[in-house]
Amino acid sequence: MKPLDQLVQQEGAIQDRSIYWDNDVYQAEMEHIFARCWLFLTHDSIIPEKGDYQVTTMGEDNVIVARQADGSLKAFLNSCTHRGNFVCFSEAGNTRSFVCPYHGWSFGIDGSLQDVPLEKQAYHQEIDKTALGLRQIRVASYKGLIFGTFDESAPPLEKYLGGMAWYLDSFLDVPGGIELIGPPMKSTLECNWKNPSENFIGDGYHVGWAHASALEIAGGSLASMKGLNEYDKNSGLQISLPEGHGFGAIWECVAALHPGPPGVAYQQWVDQRSPAVKEIVGEQREKFYRAHWNATIFPNCSFLYGTNTFKVWQPRGPHSIEVTTWTMVEKEMPKELKDMIHADNMLTFGTAGILESDDGENFENCTNSNRGHSTRQGTVYLGMGQGHERQEAGLPGIVSDGWVNETSTRGMYRRWAEMMSGKSWDNLSTTADLENNQ
Amino acid sequence: MNSEEHSALSGQPVDQATHFEIERFLVREARALDEERYHDWLDNMVAKDVIYQLPTQEVRYRRDRKTIGNAQTTYLYNDNYDVLAMRVARFDTGFLWAEDPPMRIRRYITNIDAQWADEEGEVDVWSNFIVYRSRAQRDNVSTHGRRRDRLRKTDGQWQLASRVITLEQRVIMDKNVHCFF
Ligand code: FES
Ligand SMILES: [Fe+2]
Repeated sequence: MKPLDQLVQQEGAIQDRSIYWDNDVYQAEMEHIFARCWLFLTHDSIIPEKGDYQVTTMGEDNVIVARQADGSLKAFLNSCTHRGNFVCFSEAGNTRSFVCPYHGWSFGIDGSLQDVPLEKQAYHQEIDKTALGLRQIRVASYKGLIFGTFDESAPPLEKYLGGMAWYLDSFLDVPGGIELIGPPMKSTLECNWKNPSENFIGDGYHVGWAHASALEIAGGSLASMKGLNEYDKNSGLQISLPEGHGFGAIWECVAALHPGPPGVAYQQWVDQRSPAVKEIVGEQREKFYRAHWNATIFPNCSFLYGTNTFKVWQPRGPHSIEVTTWTMVEKEMPKELKDMIHADNMLTFGTAGILESDDGENFENCTNSNRGHSTRQGTVYLGMGQGHERQEAGLPGIVSDGWVNETSTRGMYRRWAEMMSGKSWDNLSTTADLENNQ
Repeated sequence: MNSEEHSALSGQPVDQATHFEIERFLVREARALDEERYHDWLDNMVAKDVIYQLPTQEVRYRRDRKTIGNAQTTYLYNDNYDVLAMRVARFDTGFLWAEDPPMRIRRYITNIDAQWADEEGEVDVWSNFIVYRSRAQRDNVSTHGRRRDRLRKTDGQWQLASRVITLEQRVIMDKNVHCFF
């Protein structure tokens, strides 16, 4: 692996291409990023009852998240402490225990070891079951969004989200909050996990070009972007948080990717909710509530608020990911509106989606060109809008005009480099530090 | 055939001549799609009230089928005629970069089993398929699955009235399933 100051240069504007290809970089990411960050697991609405569980991955580690009798959550490795087999093969469900199919060890919904066959006869009643529970993982929820971390020294989830939490509240604090609709779609992309993360955090640029065919047939308020001829930089902005998270917002475009009757119904819903939302989150964030967002919570949880697709890019080696896709809706929306939004999400950003299919090709090819040894010696460029960022009172993080920008993308790579250096959490940048240094 | 005679047939295997027609229909349909004749497909082989679906399937234990939380069926395709027409229109825009150079797609339709449906002039048809897609130089993927179709004979022509597609893979081992099955 090359030195870090070569891998990411010029405040995030230059990436060495090896970071999308080399296995040693990938293994270092697993250690310094995926074993340390808070990673998205699931949503409260998916596992509401005692014994409800979902199986997912954190990096490449297979984990179970389960609802406990007291309503709290526990997460633990899906790997038997006897010889290592998985203890659960279902992707979700409701259970009282997880029984390993190899020798029959049985674990409770809290991950503790409950029963061992032939405990008396073969183990002479000497086995210490309390020391052989499934490895526990720290788990926390932010307004229904459930995350886990392997790092005992990681800051609390809310601090990890930093300034992003303030923005997320624009739609998380609506009466009733949000929910995710599943079961999720799952598909694979032969690309590096950073390609989709960077696309969602700040690639407004590709929308008019890569998605020209979809914009042409779907119409809607973004259709004028088609072919990248027209664009007003006051139509939105980008935000980058020192914690690595970020997003682009397009004002008054919440329903832009829901053409036809669903878009009309969704816009009506937002209009009718706006006064209450304004009351709760204030005028500034009401504007965000009414905007369309493309966002990533560092490192690999992305969503489009408005289009309401919610995705996790699960790394599966340096050139491969598994994509998990849910639909995000407000809990208090009428069922018919939820169904329309869910159907639209499948049609646009589902596995057979008319926008998803454009993106997949681009993500894969941006990774795969780096197979070439000589290609890989070069760099790629993210300089759009550099030098035009600012800090703005009342808006956490770094702000830049225009949703066609690369401000939030550079921020993601600055954080990537910072984490890859192995710095302790105390020495990593935070929104609070940025504000204090202003 | 009167309706009494028909209801007695419902659920019975179709006769040999009908089976032959249906098999020919499915093969011709596959060739139209292979040859990217999407308008031919929509105009001549698909009924205006078509329902075209591809639900995802969760991997769950046999003993625990209970729906948890707010889960519902997630459809990769849940299209009516207009949505199918919109997908087809996208091919016509000239901006579909991923399909240029064109993909090469071959559909293999097998295990065809047809029986009379409960509606007169309609049949339920099960078939298995392999769809092989080749893109660019060496991006090759085969997707396997099964379809349950409802075909309807109108003016002497069979048409697709509904299709429910099942893919055996939970995690789809392709970048998308943006092609007709
Ligand atoms: S490996 Fe799980 S019981 Fe032996
Ligand atoms: Fe995109």
